[in-house]
Amino acid sequence: MEVIVKVLVTLLVVAAGAAAATYDSINRDVINKKVDRKLDISSQLLKITNKITLENGGSGAVRSFLLAFTRQEKENLSYLNAQSGGTVLKFGEARVQEHRDIEFYKVELKDALQPGKTVNVEVEIIMTQLLEPYPATIQQGEKQLVRYAGNHYVLSPYTTTTQTTTVTLPSPNIESYSRLKPTTHTDTSITYGPYDGVAGFSEDPMNIHFENNSPFLAVTKLERVIEVSHWGNIAVEETIDVLHIGAKLKGPFSRYDYQREHNSYSSIKSFKTIMPASAKDVYYRDEIGNISTSHMRVQDDAVELDLRPRFPLFGGWKTHYKIGYNVPSYEYLYSSGDHYILKMRILDHVFDDFAVDELVVKIILPEGVRNIVLETPYPVERLPDTLHFTYLDTVGRPVVSVTKRNLVESHIQDFTLHYQFPSILMLQEPLLVVIAFFILFITVIIYVRLDLTLSKDDATEAKMRVSSYCEQVHTHHDKRARLYEKLEEELQKLKSSKDVAQSQTATKKIQATIRDETQAIADIGAKIRADSAEYAEKVLELQKLDKILRDSVLQQLTNVEKLVAGKMSKQQYMDADAPLHKKKEEALEKIKSILGNI
Amino acid sequence: MAVLSLAAILSFSCRLFSVLRFESVIHEFDPYFNYRTTKFLAEEGFYNFHNWFDDRAWYPLGRIIGGTIYPGLMVTSAAIYHILNLVNITIDVRNVCVFLAPLFSSLTTLVTYHLAKELKGPGAGLVAAVMIAIVPGYISRSVAGSYDNEGIAIFCMLLTYYMWIKAVKTGTLFWSTMASLAYFYMVSSWGGYVFLINIIPLHVLTLMITGRFSHRVYVAYSTLYVIGTILSMQISFVGFQPVSTSEHMGAFGVFGLCQIHAFVDYVRSRLNKIQFEVLFRAVISTVAVTGILVLVVLTAMGKIAPWTGRFYSLLDPSYAKNNIPIIASVSEHQPTAWSSFYFDLQMLTFMFPVGLYFCFTKLTDENIFIILYGVLSIYFAGVMVRLMLVLAPVMCILSGIAVSSMLSTYMKQIDDVKTEKKKAKFEGNYFMRSEIATFFVCVMSVFLVMYTLHCTWVTSEAYSSPSIVLSARGHDGSRIIFDDFREAYYWLRHNTPEDAKVMSWWDYGYQITAMANRTILVDNNTWNNTHISRVGQAMASTEDKAYEIMRELDVDYVLVIFGGLTGYSSDDINKFLWMVRIGGSTEKGGHIKEHDYYTPAGEFRVDKEGSPTLLNCLMYKMCYYRFGQVYTEGG
Repeated sequence: MEVIVKVLVTLLVVAAGAAAATYDSINRDVINKKVDRKLDISSQLLKITNKITLENGGSGAVRSFLLAFTRQEKENLSYLNAQSGGTVLKFGEARVQEHRDIEFYKVELKDALQPGKTVNVEVEIIMTQLLEPYPATIQQGEKQLVRYAGNHYVLSPYTTTTQTTTVTLPSPNIESYSRLKPTTHTDTSITYGPYDGVAGFSEDPMNIHFENNSPFLAVTKLERVIEVSHWGNIAVEETIDVLHIGAKLKGPFSRYDYQREHNSYSSIKSFKTIMPASAKDVYYRDEIGNISTSHMRVQDDAVELDLRPRFPLFGGWKTHYKIGYNVPSYEYLYSSGDHYILKMRILDHVFDDFAVDELVVKIILPEGVRNIVLETPYPVERLPDTLHFTYLDTVGRPVVSVTKRNLVESHIQDFTLHYQFPSILMLQEPLLVVIAFFILFITVIIYVRLDLTLSKDDATEAKMRVSSYCEQVHTHHDKRARLYEKLEEELQKLKSSKDVAQSQTATKKIQATIRDETQAIADIGAKIRADSAEYAEKVLELQKLDKILRDSVLQQLTNVEKLVAGKMSKQQYMDADAPLHKKKEEALEKIKSILGNI
Repeated sequence: MAVLSLAAILSFSCRLFSVLRFESVIHEFDPYFNYRTTKFLAEEGFYNFHNWFDDRAWYPLGRIIGGTIYPGLMVTSAAIYHILNLVNITIDVRNVCVFLAPLFSSLTTLVTYHLAKELKGPGAGLVAAVMIAIVPGYISRSVAGSYDNEGIAIFCMLLTYYMWIKAVKTGTLFWSTMASLAYFYMVSSWGGYVFLINIIPLHVLTLMITGRFSHRVYVAYSTLYVIGTILSMQISFVGFQPVSTSEHMGAFGVFGLCQIHAFVDYVRSRLNKIQFEVLFRAVISTVAVTGILVLVVLTAMGKIAPWTGRFYSLLDPSYAKNNIPIIASVSEHQPTAWSSFYFDLQMLTFMFPVGLYFCFTKLTDENIFIILYGVLSIYFAGVMVRLMLVLAPVMCILSGIAVSSMLSTYMKQIDDVKTEKKKAKFEGNYFMRSEIATFFVCVMSVFLVMYTLHCTWVTSEAYSSPSIVLSARGHDGSRIIFDDFREAYYWLRHNTPEDAKVMSWWDYGYQITAMANRTILVDNNTWNNTHISRVGQAMASTEDKAYEIMRELDVDYVLVIFGGLTGYSSDDINKFLWMVRIGGSTEKGGHIKEHDYYTPAGEFRVDKEGSPTLLNCLMYKMCYYRFGQVYTEGG
């Protein structure tokens, strides 16, 4: 299987090679009527803007034209864009048989250029690492000088009628620059030309050696991880390796000079990263913890983070850090039914005029996502999809990864990711938690109820039985005690109301229930005897005391009845009642102590 | 139950001050090593960890990590890490490490509750649990990020005690086996297990002397000693120490005594009194004489290693100062100041004797244990600051006993009064009983509240700074964070060659290996005195001599910490005298004499009146290089 795949791949590669090997030819009819080139070398990048006026000097219509680059330029070419009258033109790589050493791009014109007509095309080119620090090593207090080697003429396959080049410099300090008349130098710019009647492929070396203290900071690797959650959050984390690619530091670094004299021109103390306006929970850290030297400013349209590496970066020094933030998903995630579209930046701002050597973007999608289709604004290399496991995952989250080399600020563009996600799967995670807890509780319940003892332990069993019986005794006794209280109440009522008949019916009822309770306790006592004679004795004693109590209460009752009926004098009653009362109290006290023991 | 779980949560959360104030980082020095090894263990697996030869430290000697550490801590956190990741809870090793100590301290509160419950009752258990949850003496070693052996060792220690007390109480094999397992965990996590293996035999011995020896104790101790010793020998760092060093001989002796005692008891039950007396005397004297003889002979022959320096310094506080500067130079090994007792324990200091009193009033087997533990640990804590940690739990337990006993006594008085108001009139012998009781309970509550406030304050102010990140108040009251340590380490990590060797004083060794990932000469595991001494000599020599030494040691970078500019006092100049002392303590450092670095008046000065030797040494030159041009706040 694998072999077949390999063969197929090889075939495809060969086919692609064959397709690329078809050569383009240079159309002699096209003339650059006017070329206005702007070279911006004020930062670490080389930004070129060419305003070209093309003229069709032939008789047939012209559909495309060629842009030429030297091999080195092609290697460092990061961004190329051509537009005409506001529309972006398509372009692709091309080759010309006669000029093997020159790389071409073929730009398709929007409309075919008719004979004798002209069209204005604006070409934007950004190249990295073409500015060479010279000298390559400097001391801490020295200024950074760079050298740019280019071409006085605009490299073009076509004859140019007239052309000018304006070079923008970061400062007026220039060591030297090549002159090809007419050349004018004013403050921070040098103007070459106009040159008239320049033939195709004309070259004349241009050299500018100037001071450039702008940060020469390359992002050697940027890994951007976008984690999408359908619960309303998108987490972005960028792991960034930066290297100062300016002139290397020679000799020692003195913190003292650095802080007192501010003469470390080319070193980088801090830089600004701009994040989306809705970014929150921003963090900035590295392998050994939080980097405490950063400031965040929330502005209307963006969050600006002033990042300061742990140490100032001098030439050749590198550092590594992570920044991360959360953004609400409603700004980037659109849905219609089960179909979702994620629209986010494939690359975000790192610092002004940055250049990224290698970018890896990983998009972590929720579990259960299917039919993933990625659209990128420019070609990128798609890496194989992987799975990512994190909280509450079962089958893993699909991860879409892409990579691209050599990017600059102009590459900050949106990608679009289409995918299907059945919304029922949203319930998966909460259900998982619920089930987990459910299982936990069930296990606990089962464990508690399960009797895992191999042999029956009679003694403990009996003890437990007795204790449950004792509990029953307690409840019954409590009921009985309440009934006694009621009886007393009746007694008091009788004293005041003197209605013997009514009292008798009430007390009869109470007495009956008391008897029931007593019987119940007696039954339990009999049951207890089977397990523990000791407790049974106690219950018996309880019953005995109860009998005393009951007798004395009933005696009190009859006494009161007699008193009410007038069969007894008040004095007699008092004399009879006092010992009864005492007896009752004693019995109650004893009952209390026995109950405490049971 | 609710109180207990609250206490456990509290003990976890009050240790998070540092994370909130700063961030989730590892603190101090040793934790960085533990963190690094844990990471290695989590990534490479136990087998590789066990065989790990670390070439990043002690250049050019290297260090066999697997055989020279107590792996309990690393294994614990690696296990937690793997379990969490198994159920897809993606947490990184660092966070496991940071939060391990608080986690274990909340477990400690639970164990303390059970321990105190066994000793006195649930009331005492609750008070002790709440107290240990916030006692500063323990918090100081277990805040989030303080990822050190002690963090889990205290838990293991109390767990072992609990199991031991259970075993003594019940006399079952089950509990004594559990005790030996807990002991094994303790051995695997901290060198302080020696305290444990001495205090338990001591307890048994005391029980024997007081005539409380019983079959329960016999079963408990014999099981614990046999299983515990065999298990502890499985830790490669411990190895054969349990049978060959003096520290463990006490336990062995008591084990023997146990057998004899049990045998004597058996014989006594079979013989009449007079026969027994004769036999007893004869046997006792011969056994004692031979025992001591054998011990002496073995020690002389070198079969039993004599006590190590740290233990000598425990028994004789001045020993280290006179003999081994490297032990004395660690601030943790200094004798404790009185104030720090109060600072770390507050009212527990006063409650401790009260608790002892209550224990004595109701003497039981387990109370004897806690009395012994309390008295011994208070001695050890007095000798070494570090051992305050061992003292803190027993302080809490005893205070818990004290507070709960007193409160329950007085609370009863208040309760009684309410229900039996009538009777109170007739009991004239207790004057104003209820009022005094109420007053007392109030005073007690005030004490407890003050204790809580103190603990919170100490925790937030003193023990929650990671020491790797310093913070200060700026002129306008805002917080300034000094992150210079990490700045330096991070620079080393990214901008020096992979195989660069960094020379620094040993304090920073662990941090450099962990954070800068570079090879270092000496680190906090101070096992090789001569090597450290060599570094000390390099620092204390003149530049050309130091250069020779550094060439010999193949040094690429030298790292010194100088706090003169920011007013950071514990910098290398502050430690310099120790470098001189340690440097001069070996043969090669004969040219370094401590008094050369003092002024004729005997002062240690770093200004222009300082001694010329000092002003020309490498350390001084590096620290004060061009410092004269700087204007500090002091002018």
